[in-house]
Amino acid sequence: MGAFVLRRLAASLITLFLASIVVFAMVRAVPGDIVEQMMGQLGGSEGEAVLRRFFGLDEPIHIQYLDWLGRVLRGDLGVSWRLGAPVTALVASAFLVSLQLALLVLVFSAFIGVPLGLMVGRWSGGAFDTAIQSFNVVALATPVFWIGLMLLFGVSELLGWSPPTIYVSPVRSITENLTILMLPMLSLAFLQIAAYAQFVRQHVIAAMGQDYVRAARARGMPMRRVLLRHVLRNILVPLSTFMGLIFIQILGGVVVIESIFGLPGLGRLLVNALNARDFPVVQGALLTVLISAIVVNLIVDLLYRAIDPRLRT
Amino acid sequence: MFEIYRRTLLKGVALAPLAGLLGVSLSSQPAFADDAVLYGAADAKAKSGGRLTVGSLIEPPSMDIYHQAGEAVNFVAVLMYQTLVYADPLGNPHPLLAESWEVSPDATTYTFNLRKGVTFHTGEPFEAEDVKYSLDYMRNPENGTIGARDFADVQQVEVLDTHAVRVTLKGPNSAFLITLTHRNASPIPRGWYDRPNARALLNSSSVGTGPFRMAEFQQNSFIRMERNPDYWQPGLPYLDEIVVNFIPNSAGMLVAVKNGRVDMAVLVRPQDAKQLEGAEGLSIQRSISLNQKVLDLDCAYGPLTDERVRRAIALLIDRDAVMQAGISGYGQRLGTMVPGMQERWGVPIEQLPNQVVDVERAKALLTEAGHPDGFDIDLTTIIGYEWMEPAALTLVQQLAAGGIRANINRVDLGTWLTNFRSRQMGFTLNDWGTPPDPNILYYRHFRKQPEGADFRNWNDDKASALLDQGRAALTYEDRKSIYGRFQMRLAESVPTIMLFGADHLVVVSDKVKNHRMHPIGWHFGLVKTWLDI
Repeated sequence: MGAFVLRRLAASLITLFLASIVVFAMVRAVPGDIVEQMMGQLGGSEGEAVLRRFFGLDEPIHIQYLDWLGRVLRGDLGVSWRLGAPVTALVASAFLVSLQLALLVLVFSAFIGVPLGLMVGRWSGGAFDTAIQSFNVVALATPVFWIGLMLLFGVSELLGWSPPTIYVSPVRSITENLTILMLPMLSLAFLQIAAYAQFVRQHVIAAMGQDYVRAARARGMPMRRVLLRHVLRNILVPLSTFMGLIFIQILGGVVVIESIFGLPGLGRLLVNALNARDFPVVQGALLTVLISAIVVNLIVDLLYRAIDPRLRT
Repeated sequence: MFEIYRRTLLKGVALAPLAGLLGVSLSSQPAFADDAVLYGAADAKAKSGGRLTVGSLIEPPSMDIYHQAGEAVNFVAVLMYQTLVYADPLGNPHPLLAESWEVSPDATTYTFNLRKGVTFHTGEPFEAEDVKYSLDYMRNPENGTIGARDFADVQQVEVLDTHAVRVTLKGPNSAFLITLTHRNASPIPRGWYDRPNARALLNSSSVGTGPFRMAEFQQNSFIRMERNPDYWQPGLPYLDEIVVNFIPNSAGMLVAVKNGRVDMAVLVRPQDAKQLEGAEGLSIQRSISLNQKVLDLDCAYGPLTDERVRRAIALLIDRDAVMQAGISGYGQRLGTMVPGMQERWGVPIEQLPNQVVDVERAKALLTEAGHPDGFDIDLTTIIGYEWMEPAALTLVQQLAAGGIRANINRVDLGTWLTNFRSRQMGFTLNDWGTPPDPNILYYRHFRKQPEGADFRNWNDDKASALLDQGRAALTYEDRKSIYGRFQMRLAESVPTIMLFGADHLVVVSDKVKNHRMHPIGWHFGLVKTWLDI
């Protein structure tokens, strides 16, 4: 087990290293830089050269990269060029907002999507199945920002209420925090519920033809128990991979929802930093997304082993 | 309710004491605080207290006012940082941190007597040494500041005593007082940037002398300012706290306004104002601005090198129709002056050449210039400027009447800025604003190189000579007549076609009282805004 984790970690580090080069080059391929952004239309060439030197933008790109990498390896993501604040602090606070939202969406949509998938899989071909299938098609094809806006407008028109636009952390007040995150969560969950239901339904239909299901039924086990005891347990392995994928997808796709609801999450941090060409923050934020993807994948792999004893070698 | 207070705004200011310099020489200013004018008119019914939440679509990238340009910074910086001089809505200079001043007859030496008893948010007293440090820091390009170019004509800054400063310019500049009204010229405590971490500190605290001081800046969320308890104007500000809440999405902003999550918001899209029309408990304030949305003509670009072609283009354009398409008419049609300065400095549109559509004459000019069958040209728009797309489509139709086949070319802002700064703007829509002075408005953009930037490659001797004269003239009458002649030249030779200026549109809840938007669009007005709660 320990050797496995170590092997995976080593592979992850190589991935991370290669990805960091791509990220670094990509960020710098965007036209314009922080100095142009700071100066606006007012700039004069003399002052601009001073600032470029200050930020090290006059160095060749590979030197800039090695310099950055060296500091990252020592655990220092640097300082935001526009704010002067440590990147680690900026990214951490934004990441926690997005992480909380993503986890809420993941769990909430699993609670609804998985039972829904079991039911429609069990009674596939019926009217209920058709209804849910149509819902799924619509939900999967609707852009998240549209759902977010409709929810916001709908709630505002019906109840004359909209969530507070100044974020409150769960540490300060969990009720206020959840009040703020409720609509963003629902907006994102809509799609994920459909995704879960679709995924589970397919696996249930496939499982229904399997010998172990027929055997269980033959023993006179009620369908409900067959589904929960046998089918669901067999789905858990692919489901955990699926959840991992969904989680990363949510984390990467919350930008629009964050801007509609004014949440200070990672997506918004990234967009604002990119607009300001604040490279250390952009790099730090992207690196965080990468690392969380790797960590999630690792967790999924470990989960496999916990769920399926056959994988423990 | 749709409240248009442009008239009352202008009237209110005209009635205030010392409002106009009309006919008055620039050279000196009586020594008393003009409280009725600073930050707008007072309100006798005003009550103190409360927290105002202002919704904002844009967020300052940083609050380091000496190194960070941008309107999002200007909006809030003026509440925390003050300048020596304040410009009223008409563009008249008034004493703010300066108590009075004297200008030498050749407009090269400016002597300021500073207000006494003013302290910075850091607790340090505001004195002449601070003014000298601040101006010297800002004008030194080695510091990478944003205002170095604005103050490039400063020769030296001398401290005369603890509360007197003399600024000597390299040449005459009668607009220097208005240059000093920009937040780029806000005094900060001497030696500030020598402190370790000085730039980062400006994102968690403020070091100005303004009526509000920074309490908290949460990136991607809000900036909170609280009343400065040591503020020098008695009784001001009225509000205890201002929270500027950043909501980057227009739809999200509209819902927040409707449900009282924010008390006030600046609207950038006219359709948002339409949506909120008639909403209960809200009103839309519409007021005049210093903005101009223009069609720029690079005089070194293809057929535009010929002045007759540029005139023909001007004669094909119906500016009212373009304004209708671009901003649903929520603005002012322009001649050669921005809306907020038209009354005081603008030549009446009917006196300017090339303002009325005349397709026949345009065709004749094109034939004369060797384009009897018209020509093809790229018309550039900037991605993200919503008004440009419909305006460009209308322009394409109007130009087609004269045989000019314009092809819309959309570019991102970064690319556009690079072209603009390297004087390769081509034939493009543009959107900009100005502090309220004709020298600041025109000089850099239209003066020949190297004194000006001459972004449009106009290279016009007559216009440049007038701009030099205007910069040196001291009285309002002289300046008005010189800039009048300059505007005639601008309209005749057409390096730019000022189409229209968008009005400021602000939605406020009914409990927000005495709010007025300054034409420049920065939140000066919040100093005298109060909450009826």
